[in-house]
Amino acid sequence: MMPDNDHYVVIGNGPAGNHAAATLREKDKDARITIISDECVPYYYKPRLTGFIANEIRREKLFVSSWGSYKEQNIRIRLGQEVEKIDPDSKVLFLQHMEKINYTKLIIASGSRARLLPSMSRYADCLKFITSYTDVMEHKEAIRKANDFFIFGGDLVAFKFLKMLVAMGKTVTILIYPGAFWPYNLSDDMLAQITQSLSKFDVGIIIKDNVESIDEQEGSVLVKTRKGIEKKVNMVFSFNGLSPNIDFAKGSGIDIDHGILVDEYLRTNIKSIYACGSCAQIYNPAVKSYTASIGWPNAVAQGNVAGLNLLGDHKVIESAGRKYFDLEGVKIKTTWWDDIDDES
Amino acid sequence: MKKNDLYSKEEKFFQDKNKIYSAQSVKQIVYSTDARDFGQVAKSVPCQDACPAKTNIPGYIRTIFEKRYGRAYEINRIANIMPGVLGRICSRPCESACRHGEPDNGRSVGICHLKRSCADLKPSSHRIIEGLYASTGKKVAVVGSGPAGLAAAHDLAILGHEVVLFESMEKPGGMLMYGIPEFRLPRDLLMLEIKNILRLGIKLKTNMAIGPDISLSRLQEDYDAVALATGCVSPRKLGIPGEDFENVHNGLDFMKAVNEGKKPFAGEKVAVIGAGFTAVDCARSAVRLGGKDVSINIRKTFEYMRVDETEKYEAQLEGIKTYSLIQPSKIIGHNNKVTAVEFLRTRMEKTDRPPYRISVPIENSELVVRVDSVIAALGQVSDVNIMPKELSGLDKKTNRTGIDGLFVAGDFATGSSDVISAIAGGRRCAGDIDEYLTGEKRRQKVVRLENHVTTDRPRSYDFISKVEMNTIDMEERLFLSTNEVETGYSDSQARQEAKRCYLCNLKYEIDPLACIYCSACIDVAPKDCIKMIKNVFVNPDGTYGGYEETRDWNKVVSIAIDNTNCIRCGQCLAVCPMDCISVTKTELIEIDT
Amino acid sequence: MKDINIVIEICGSAGEGTISAGEILSRFMSGQGFEIMSFDSYPAEIRGFGKCVAHTRISSNPIYSPGKFVDVLISLNDKHSISQLGSLKESGVLIYDSQPARPHKEDESAVGWTKPGMVSYGIPLNMLAHKAAGNARGMNMVALGVIAALFHMEKDQFTDSIKARYGKKKQIVIDSNVNSFIEGYGWTKENIKKNDSYSFKGVNLPEQKEKLIINGNQLVARAALDSNLSFYAGYPITPATKIMEILSRELPKHGGTLLQTEDEISAIGAVVGAGFGGKRAMTATSGPGFALMTEFTGLSVMAEVPAVIINSQRGGPSTGIPTKTEQSDFNSAVSGGTGDCPRIVLAPTDTKSCYDAVVLALYLAEKYQTLVVVLMDFFLSNSIKNIDVPQKPLPEYLNANIAPGKDELKDYKRYKITKNGISPRAVPGTKGGIFFSTGLEHDEYGRPDYGEAGHLKMTRKRFKKFNAVLSEAPAPEISISGKNEFDIGVISWGSSAGAAHEAVMSAQKEGINASSFSSMMVSPFPQKALIEFSDKCKKILIPELNFSGQFAGFTSHILKRPVEKLNFITGRPMASEDIIQKMREM
Repeated sequence: MMPDNDHYVVIGNGPAGNHAAATLREKDKDARITIISDECVPYYYKPRLTGFIANEIRREKLFVSSWGSYKEQNIRIRLGQEVEKIDPDSKVLFLQHMEKINYTKLIIASGSRARLLPSMSRYADCLKFITSYTDVMEHKEAIRKANDFFIFGGDLVAFKFLKMLVAMGKTVTILIYPGAFWPYNLSDDMLAQITQSLSKFDVGIIIKDNVESIDEQEGSVLVKTRKGIEKKVNMVFSFNGLSPNIDFAKGSGIDIDHGILVDEYLRTNIKSIYACGSCAQIYNPAVKSYTASIGWPNAVAQGNVAGLNLLGDHKVIESAGRKYFDLEGVKIKTTWWDDIDDES
Repeated sequence: MKKNDLYSKEEKFFQDKNKIYSAQSVKQIVYSTDARDFGQVAKSVPCQDACPAKTNIPGYIRTIFEKRYGRAYEINRIANIMPGVLGRICSRPCESACRHGEPDNGRSVGICHLKRSCADLKPSSHRIIEGLYASTGKKVAVVGSGPAGLAAAHDLAILGHEVVLFESMEKPGGMLMYGIPEFRLPRDLLMLEIKNILRLGIKLKTNMAIGPDISLSRLQEDYDAVALATGCVSPRKLGIPGEDFENVHNGLDFMKAVNEGKKPFAGEKVAVIGAGFTAVDCARSAVRLGGKDVSINIRKTFEYMRVDETEKYEAQLEGIKTYSLIQPSKIIGHNNKVTAVEFLRTRMEKTDRPPYRISVPIENSELVVRVDSVIAALGQVSDVNIMPKELSGLDKKTNRTGIDGLFVAGDFATGSSDVISAIAGGRRCAGDIDEYLTGEKRRQKVVRLENHVTTDRPRSYDFISKVEMNTIDMEERLFLSTNEVETGYSDSQARQEAKRCYLCNLKYEIDPLACIYCSACIDVAPKDCIKMIKNVFVNPDGTYGGYEETRDWNKVVSIAIDNTNCIRCGQCLAVCPMDCISVTKTELIEIDT
Repeated sequence: MKDINIVIEICGSAGEGTISAGEILSRFMSGQGFEIMSFDSYPAEIRGFGKCVAHTRISSNPIYSPGKFVDVLISLNDKHSISQLGSLKESGVLIYDSQPARPHKEDESAVGWTKPGMVSYGIPLNMLAHKAAGNARGMNMVALGVIAALFHMEKDQFTDSIKARYGKKKQIVIDSNVNSFIEGYGWTKENIKKNDSYSFKGVNLPEQKEKLIINGNQLVARAALDSNLSFYAGYPITPATKIMEILSRELPKHGGTLLQTEDEISAIGAVVGAGFGGKRAMTATSGPGFALMTEFTGLSVMAEVPAVIINSQRGGPSTGIPTKTEQSDFNSAVSGGTGDCPRIVLAPTDTKSCYDAVVLALYLAEKYQTLVVVLMDFFLSNSIKNIDVPQKPLPEYLNANIAPGKDELKDYKRYKITKNGISPRAVPGTKGGIFFSTGLEHDEYGRPDYGEAGHLKMTRKRFKKFNAVLSEAPAPEISISGKNEFDIGVISWGSSAGAAHEAVMSAQKEGINASSFSSMMVSPFPQKALIEFSDKCKKILIPELNFSGQFAGFTSHILKRPVEKLNFITGRPMASEDIIQKMREM
């Protein structure tokens, strides 16, 4: 079935995807617009998930938009459906349930998921993540019931989660893994500073060590570290940054590195395919490099720009990529190389 | 264990079915040299076609399933001479072509792992079978004992010629011995398979380099023919300032040093530059030499790395980081020792010519990374210094050069490739030399066709997931750097993986004269594999092309099975009310002319 | 205690085992102590590629209607299931084949049409079936395995149910079905994260009595056999065919005779003939056949010969919509035919009452020497429920003929005027019981009598008899009794009565003061009770499955007051949800 008019497909139902779709609808009243998401919930605020676990935020407050708003905007929403493959030549998306969807233009805003360190893959069953609504719904009750926690890693969410647990009166041990900010490694100085700033909380901090083994035993989990520390806890969480959800684009001809490579106009190397949000690596003329971006406002801005540019505009995304971000008062660089100039 | 106990109930059912039929039907075997049959085998057995040495892949996988590991090893050896070696380090073009890896079909069969398993699991009493030709009295010198040289020597020896193999290094094997790290290819295994070749009466002369030790013209005088198979050993240069600082290695020399048991200096922070197998091998070796922060630096993105996913994964697991979209612009040193590398960031660009996507450096985007050593693994080019000037007459098809009696083989002839291509090239060269020496073509390829009655496998096998290779853990890898990382399939794993092969060498055909066009087969087909056609295209070379399909019953001349889409599930066979679907086993073999 | 009330629908192509999967599910859940009701719909062409839907409602409480909205939809074939998604609840669950044999084109996947809020589980049904049994036939069993795993059903007991279903088949058939089930169960347990709240766990069900899992047609046949039916004549017609099918197997075993005639006219002719001969006789048909029988129904009433017709209604006039349910033969059953022709019409209101209606029909026909029509419909015929094993009819119901006494035989008046209008009936062969019997108007001896007085006398006698039947009518069912005032009274008949009852019960919870009234006997109608009920109600609502409101017209004539009508001819059974909606609007 060939579409009568344009069919804009947006992969991803997060801030980038929704703002892209809304922009498209605003500028083009007639086109078919479809959002595809592998999650089964409407557009929700990811940053509020920790508050939701702690019971500070009601479930309804998690959602940005309701089912009705998709209908009002005449946007078709396909939930719980996963894109498996893209064929840019014939402009077809293959969904995992073996349905083929024709598009005329495509925006990839598939976001990212928790990164599982390769060395931890054998403990995958014991490691929990808190990156999506589904994760939260799955672990929420268990978190409330449990008392002893072990956090492995230490990205931005990790510290947010840790503070939440402390506020809930839980016992927490954190093993700060210097590679959590992959591709950048925390230096010893930074580790010391972070440890310092965490000392006001009542948490166990392990640094310069690594996980030796994780074993599940009768409802509790035993974590052993290389240096011989043993912790028996209820749950182990891993926070080692995010990796973009872009498996479906691999091998399609779209340039991919860590994320989908796009220029400052959010165009991929293939005409009529755009990418935005945390799944994209955006060329930043200022840094002269491709940088990944995280955070809600970035995603929103990129979604809007992707929508506009797809319709023929020529807007440069400005907010893409910061050189530093703040972690417990410590300045962490977003690039991995030694900036020798900076030190002088 | 009785043979019968090997099979599950389901498998026995299939065998019994076989038996019933075979009692009734006479084996019909046809040897064909028809271009259409060659075309059919090439098109519908894609793994075999992708293999430079044309290994009979479905054939050996089937024998593995039957637990005839020795036979599987021999089927391999006929084509690729060193199955144990290739089962570990082959670049696996077959697996990219495997039908199981096509969209919606899952993942390709672990062909290479299976090859290894037949070498690992063959019984200790296994005997190598070689059919030797009578001695011709001709003498051939093969220069270079890498994969191409070994393969050429092997075939020449079988064809009855007296072969002397010259090797400039201390040990034979070339790249296999000095380029590939021991943790991927154990040396005792390599030596065993080399010795199997040498046992055919080949004289090996090591530490004999062309030029310093013996001149090429001398060889030409002493031998009836000379084959040059010296490979590609001249490393490609970085071509940037600072390349000559201490601790800037080239990948091949680094690997050679490692493989010779020397411990080249790597330090803690190692930057490997390059995106191929050698780069990964160097990085993994650097980890074993004590590197703490080892990186592979590539100009393009991960996707364009010329290594397979397992290699990438293993490297990641060993803690190696990969930095993409950068290229070195300067090596910075102090006191003549490398201290840092300056990179330029790159971006992807389009070109009109292959490879279509290239990376271009971004101006003024320098960044500096501190390092203790740099390993440049950018690939190699052939060392043409040993060649006389008259190389111009090189005929890549016949491996002949402009000089009478001088042949070239393998990477030396083709430029840097992979082991399996080199072996295939060596064998091809041996055939050409034989034709040169005897004045006739003594061997030819034919397609052997044999009637077959079943699919040999139930549909449920299609849903078995890939059996992953077993590996040793990090500690063992670092405990002894020569410890082989992959440990091979167990007996049951090998059989389980063997079940996954579709057996594309079985050809399915509908007899249009018996077919009643009920289209029951089309209804049950899981793929778009049975077609109503009005025409079959014929290619200029005489092979069949695609089908011209039609939906209009008035124009249908036949219902045909498209063997390039067929996954050999046999459902059509089961529903056909007319028994008009036939199964034929096809095999590409070499026979005497 | 938690209430469980889940509607599961399996949708596939004919020949995919959709219906048998539904049947196994119903049997198993019934065995677990749940109340079940299932209703399948299948294409008019019984084999082929049409759409099949097995609809099963499972509840921990009594069930009165099949449920309009579906909680769990299992798609064995997406082509057909897409249209079923319309009735899936907003938070319903879709189970679909994630690896169908062929890729779908755009918009041909069921999951693509799920609405936000629905939960969908992609299961490689086809692949698992192949894995388990080597072909796709076991997909239905895989699907059962999936729901067993998802909704916490007992795996081993379910397996036993499947074994029982295929018990008489070859071992390989049993094995492949069981293996498919286990494959589906295991895969789901391993791979699916449950994301919905449906579960069959956590409810204490009463100790299970022996239950019958049966549909209306089967119950009719069972009731006929239990009531000593000795003769059946008929011509097959959907949805009544199954009755004849069962009786053709069973009736001869019970010493009876079954005759398949060339059409419905001769079928009823044979039935009247057998009735004349003193045998309990019956036929079953549907609207078009019933129309053909009209001539003989008059004879049965005029000549006072017992005859029983089961009319299972289907949609539309003429051939109409054979596989859809409707209640549009009310007028035809109650007042069709020639002349003033009083006949008894019983309209069973649920599966269980189909049994009672047939027992009662054969009894009344014999006792009152007249025609009795049992008005069923497609839904009652085919919907399956688990019910308590019905009590066998009491002896007096089995032998109800009022035979003439010795004295009466001396001067035998076959059509003697009596107090209640019933004349003692002698069967042919009774010594002294010789009489004329004719379709002409007649005198007490049965001789033709066209006189003014004679016709009036005999018509009165027939109506007197007819009115006397009322004393044997089962008491009307009233949902909420004891109160004297209702805002809404729902009056219904036949298969709509269950939905009406359910609607009233739910309405109570919403604060709507309502009650419902239904009577199995619709002709003669218990008018007194009806008026009594109506007087308590401010408004009257009459839901039924026909276009013109046949029963509403009939009732408002009795009540002499306006009534609110609710009519559907969708081919689906009456839904309590629709009645509640209407009640809210009132």
